[in-house]
Amino acid sequence: MSSKESCRSELRTAIRQLSDRCLYSASKWAAEQLVGIEQDPTKFTPSNTRFQRGSSSIRRRFRTNEITSTPPTGVAYVSTPVMEEDEVIHGDFYLLAKSYFDCREYRRAAHVLRDQTGKKSVFLRCYALYLAGEKRKEEEMIELEGPLGKSDAVNRELVSLERELSTLCKNNMIDPFGLYLYGLVLKEKGNENLACKVLVESVNSYPWNWSAWSELQSLCTTVDILNSLNLSNHWMKEFFLASVYQELRMHNESLVKYENLQGNFTFSNYIQAQIAKARYSLREFEQVEVIFEDLLRNDPYRVEDMDTYSNVLYTKECFSALSYLAHRVIMTDKYRPESCCIIGNYYSLKGQHEKSVMYFRRALKLNKNYLSAWTLMGHEYVEMKNTPAAVDAYRRAVDINPRDYRAWYGLGQAYEMMGMPHYALHYFRKSVFFQPIDSRLWIAMAQCYESEQLHMLEEAIKCYKRAANCNDTEAIALHRLAKLHRELGHPEEAAFYYKKDLERMEAEEREGPNIVEALMFLATHYKAQKRFEEAEVYCTRLLDYAGPERETAKNLLRGMRIAQSGFPSMDVEHFHS
Amino acid sequence: MTGALKPPSAFAITPHKVSLCILVQIYASPSQISVPFPFSSVSQHNRLGVYLLALTKSCDDILEPKLDQIITQLREIGGLLDHWLTDHLTSRLSSLSSPDDLFNFFNDMRGIVGGPDSGVMDDDQVILDPNSNLGMFLRRCVLAFNLLTFEGICHLLTNIGIYCKEAMSSCSSYELRRLDDSGNDLESLSEYENMDLNLVFKKINEEMEARKRATEQVSFHLHLPKELSTLVEDIEVFADPKSEHNDKGRESSPYASSGDLLRDFDPNGGVFLRTNWQIQGYLTEQADAIEKHGSSFTLNAFELTLRQLQKLAPELHRVHFLRYLNSLYHDDYFSALENLHRYFDYSAGIEGFDFVPPTGCNSFGRYEIALLCLGMMHFHFGHPKQALEVLTEAVRVSQQHSNDTCLAYTLAAISNLLSEIGFSTTSGILGLPFSPMTSVGTSLSVQQQLFVLLKGSLKRAESLKLKQLVAANHLSMAKFDLTHVQRPLLSFGPKASMKLRTCPISVCKELRLGYHLISEFCCEGSTMTTDGAFSTAWLKNLQKPMGSLVLSQDNSSRNNSNPFLFCTQPSSIPGSVLQLVGSSYLHRATAWEIYGSAPLARVNALVYATCFTDASSSSDAALVYVKLIQHLAVFKGYKEAFAALKIAEEKFLCVSKSRILILKLQLLHERALHRGHLKLAQQVCDELGVLASSVTAVDMDLKTEASLRHARTLLAAKQFSQAAAVAHSLFCMCYEFNLQVESASVLLLLAEIHMKSGNAVVGLPYALASLSYCQSFNLDLLRASATLTLAELWLSLGSNHTKTALSLLHGAFPIILGHGGLELCGRAYITEAKCYLSDPNFSVSDNPEVVLDPLRQASDELQALEYHELAAEAFYLMAIIFDKLGLLEKREEAAASFKNHIMALENSQNVEDPLLSV
Repeated sequence: MSSKESCRSELRTAIRQLSDRCLYSASKWAAEQLVGIEQDPTKFTPSNTRFQRGSSSIRRRFRTNEITSTPPTGVAYVSTPVMEEDEVIHGDFYLLAKSYFDCREYRRAAHVLRDQTGKKSVFLRCYALYLAGEKRKEEEMIELEGPLGKSDAVNRELVSLERELSTLCKNNMIDPFGLYLYGLVLKEKGNENLACKVLVESVNSYPWNWSAWSELQSLCTTVDILNSLNLSNHWMKEFFLASVYQELRMHNESLVKYENLQGNFTFSNYIQAQIAKARYSLREFEQVEVIFEDLLRNDPYRVEDMDTYSNVLYTKECFSALSYLAHRVIMTDKYRPESCCIIGNYYSLKGQHEKSVMYFRRALKLNKNYLSAWTLMGHEYVEMKNTPAAVDAYRRAVDINPRDYRAWYGLGQAYEMMGMPHYALHYFRKSVFFQPIDSRLWIAMAQCYESEQLHMLEEAIKCYKRAANCNDTEAIALHRLAKLHRELGHPEEAAFYYKKDLERMEAEEREGPNIVEALMFLATHYKAQKRFEEAEVYCTRLLDYAGPERETAKNLLRGMRIAQSGFPSMDVEHFHS
Repeated sequence: MTGALKPPSAFAITPHKVSLCILVQIYASPSQISVPFPFSSVSQHNRLGVYLLALTKSCDDILEPKLDQIITQLREIGGLLDHWLTDHLTSRLSSLSSPDDLFNFFNDMRGIVGGPDSGVMDDDQVILDPNSNLGMFLRRCVLAFNLLTFEGICHLLTNIGIYCKEAMSSCSSYELRRLDDSGNDLESLSEYENMDLNLVFKKINEEMEARKRATEQVSFHLHLPKELSTLVEDIEVFADPKSEHNDKGRESSPYASSGDLLRDFDPNGGVFLRTNWQIQGYLTEQADAIEKHGSSFTLNAFELTLRQLQKLAPELHRVHFLRYLNSLYHDDYFSALENLHRYFDYSAGIEGFDFVPPTGCNSFGRYEIALLCLGMMHFHFGHPKQALEVLTEAVRVSQQHSNDTCLAYTLAAISNLLSEIGFSTTSGILGLPFSPMTSVGTSLSVQQQLFVLLKGSLKRAESLKLKQLVAANHLSMAKFDLTHVQRPLLSFGPKASMKLRTCPISVCKELRLGYHLISEFCCEGSTMTTDGAFSTAWLKNLQKPMGSLVLSQDNSSRNNSNPFLFCTQPSSIPGSVLQLVGSSYLHRATAWEIYGSAPLARVNALVYATCFTDASSSSDAALVYVKLIQHLAVFKGYKEAFAALKIAEEKFLCVSKSRILILKLQLLHERALHRGHLKLAQQVCDELGVLASSVTAVDMDLKTEASLRHARTLLAAKQFSQAAAVAHSLFCMCYEFNLQVESASVLLLLAEIHMKSGNAVVGLPYALASLSYCQSFNLDLLRASATLTLAELWLSLGSNHTKTALSLLHGAFPIILGHGGLELCGRAYITEAKCYLSDPNFSVSDNPEVVLDPLRQASDELQALEYHELAAEAFYLMAIIFDKLGLLEKREEAAASFKNHIMALENSQNVEDPLLSV
């Protein structure tokens, strides 16, 4: 409990410091976590805990594992001292600069602080310059758009900022916030190794700056880089690790971390959304939906991560829920890429693909590197039978993130549609390489091998086997395996897979022609093998079905009788009794 | 995005274009006199015009030149005017200090171009024709400026500032007025730029250094142990290897310091791309260069350029294709595959020269081209089965989309694949989609299928008027005719009319047909590249000393027209056509080689080497050198061959599996066999075997050759049964893969093995079989040599067969003496002498010259070849004859020579032993 208390006081100070330095998104994040910490119910009246209704079933589930994940650390948990450096007069300048900054007049803010030497003033001046440069960059990007694509506009402040910050860093006159900015500049300039080092230094000395952690996270593109970081222990590190794991597609590890964190931050919307995203990647749609519903109840104007929710609603074909969500986000903030994406999803579900493409385009206009929008737009183009455009969209997605298996899969599908299965194989191979546990990908690849143009059945069998080993929810693989083996004349293997398929269908209580087919094959197969007892079992089961198979089964039984006893025919009904 | 392609308004106004406008204004200032103000002569005036034209067209780089580059060039061009021109240019540029100045400037520009009705022009008034090249350029500039937004104009202004400042910092002699808007950041920016550029230059320099070092150290590559290289080194070579060393270092060994070059560029205000047209031209030229130089093309420097280009123009997808080519020729499979897919994903196969997809004609993209390229890639990397699968798919898809052109090319590619790589069977691969062409079904043999494919492809190419493809098809048809007996595809009725011979006439006909079509070729290729290439060459020559020499005499002579124009006149025939013509000569050379006419083969190879090496790919050029050197080795002995090899090694990069390396091994092997260094021979032979089945693919030709040489080595070591076994299995392989020309020589070898093992009777049928092979494939020289072996066989059957042997030998003599190499002639002479000597009716004392003369000839030739064993035999026979004749002095002389050769034969083995024991 004390750790909760200490977290709380740490965060409170941190929020003040962060917003004093105009690091707003970091302070927003910290505030969210602060409110996310569970209050002591004895101390607070219900009105205080209004935001923290622990009513949902999910929350209750996590109550049980009350792990205080805050490890003993080397970091001194002193509440950071307030306003130590700048004198009062300079403090006035700082206040003016901060006001300018808050009005987004960055250059003016920087100008006011031009002669200030205090660490805080220097940081704000540099940060304001950086943001001014970023703003100008965005504008130039549109102004300079050439016929062959965007001419790469650069933040023109980077050079001077890097020079200044590196001098400060060398002279040890830099605080953690300055280090964060330095890391940011280095990263923009492409000096990623040094950026990593500087950011690590920043988070080690001031762990509450989530922006620094997220920059660091974007630099951790492989596990090796992550392991090479020398991070001191702090509970913020757990947040960082969880987020890195998620980016690195280590969803289970990430989930464990987040669930641990939920011990302290029980009511954090952030953690809840991250858990939902992880579960979405693990394809646990039911739970994701519940989490998001809960989240929206507590935080109805949230737009972040809602695109994931819309994806879930899309897969579950919840028309009205999706339209409701779309309505809600568009009222909240129309020009967010997530909003556009949600509307795109809605139109896609309605089958209005042109409109859907329009909204995905808008999302991409707002954020050119919005990965899932590219992929989803590719899907829409596939629906519209505009394969070249689909291929283009998917390709952009994989060029942004080469590990995006959905886009690789989409590329494969597009080429398969064009009747180029051999060419498509390359893409399917890529997609299964990045996501080997998804049976759908294996099945798609197998179908590609099976196509009449290629007719490479051995390879198809290998793929189906992989698919059957992953949890193949639609149970296509077993049936296809059995069938292929039968066609290739491997009765033993065929019988094995038919049997498995049969067991599975029984377990799931499914009906259909597949059962009859399996029973039929098994009956004839065992009869041919002279294993009459088993054959009889299958034949008798066949008798329950109507149709020509029933007659065949009767004949089979009769034949076996004869073969077994040498007696002339015996009535089947008689035997049956 | 194919769905939403932006309109191609590729012309952006940049500082460089502004300075061009200023120069054009000087060039075409409206005045009443024929030579306008600053110019003192017409030629001077014209020179500036040509220079401006070249600047707008040249495609030697992706980036526009900086101001200081232009100033240096102007110095070359302007002569006495140099100062005036540069001053005017710089002052005019620096006077542009506000957006309004720019507006006024472009308004002035409009005045230079004549109106639309300027068809009737005053002769003496210089006004730019609006439809001339420069006029168009000016108009485009004005138009582009008018389309600019105010922000765009501001950017232009800033950029002009940077542009001037850079020039000023590099050549301080030109005083520029400081631009008033120069802030702190501007200065730091340009500084930053310079830093960056320096870094790049430094890196490239480093790369070159490293490469140079690499080539200096590694003279002999990869597989061979050190001793072998020393063996080559000890042959005296008279060529001067130093002369070209530096140049070569620059071109070769592209693998160096790759790591740090992968650093990113920071594009910034001072860097501008040239026009789309120029960049496309540049890329095309680079593609040609990659194909031409193969793996000796610089990998990293070009990759750096491509990276920059991609950053500056992300929608220019051709970059990916160039990347694919670059990695293809550097044998980087994964990167090649990745880039190929990426290129076609983005471009859908319809991004061509003009970047505008043909509107409306095909919205599906042309992915069949992707398949064709992928197939060729697999072929290049030696995955024939995959290549065939992909190409089959390409056939199907092109049929589906009725893209006949692609289909024709795909068929040509498949037939090329089938003829290059030995398939014992194609059943199950070449299947369904071919049935419309091969209505006979798939029961045909590979050769028959190949024939049908070739015919089909030729017909298609002819009907589509794809001249180059037709020519290429004729060439491959010739190749087919050369090595295959044509049989009717379906044989009904009596088979009496079947003629089981290859037909040299049809080979000749095909070669001529190919050549004929090419000579008809009338500049159909894009004029763009030649035009651009011309301008590039012109600009490059500016820097050459010769340029300044001409410029120094300047305005004194009016009629001295520009000499550049003559020395850089580009040929009107595109490089690809030249390549095809060249390869027809190469085919001729090979054909004559197979038919056995050494002089004709040599002449054709020489024609190729002198006329087509500039246009040809480096591997083809290497092939010709190989042919010439082999010729030297056979006819002039090893000393000269190795000297020539040295030169060839200087010229071509000696990487693994290059033809030059193989040639070196071949020569070493032959020489070792002749000298009797059997261990060395075996070692070299093993090396060849390794090269034949490398990681990438099995090279059937090389494999055959390696095992043939293995059998020969065993024969020389007198291990007859083993040699016979190797030769026998080799024959089986040749039979399976239909390598019939090779079968003939294997059979001949078998005959020799049996002869040497003393089983002449067993050898006879082999020799006869070889003879019949030679007859049906018109292998005249091989036939002569088979006849020789047959004669030797008869001779060894006993003295009563000498008549037969002698008559056989005399029948073969014309060809042997006319076309045979040293060894063959020597052998023939010795056999002739032996025939006479073993004839009981022949007496030496009556007619000594009949035997002595051939023996002398033989000994001369074999000595040149350092063939100790046979030379010793010749001297031995001579000594015996002299003994019989009673010429004791001469006898001693011959005996001494005999002894020398025998000693050399034995010594060499002793000497070499410790060296090779490693």
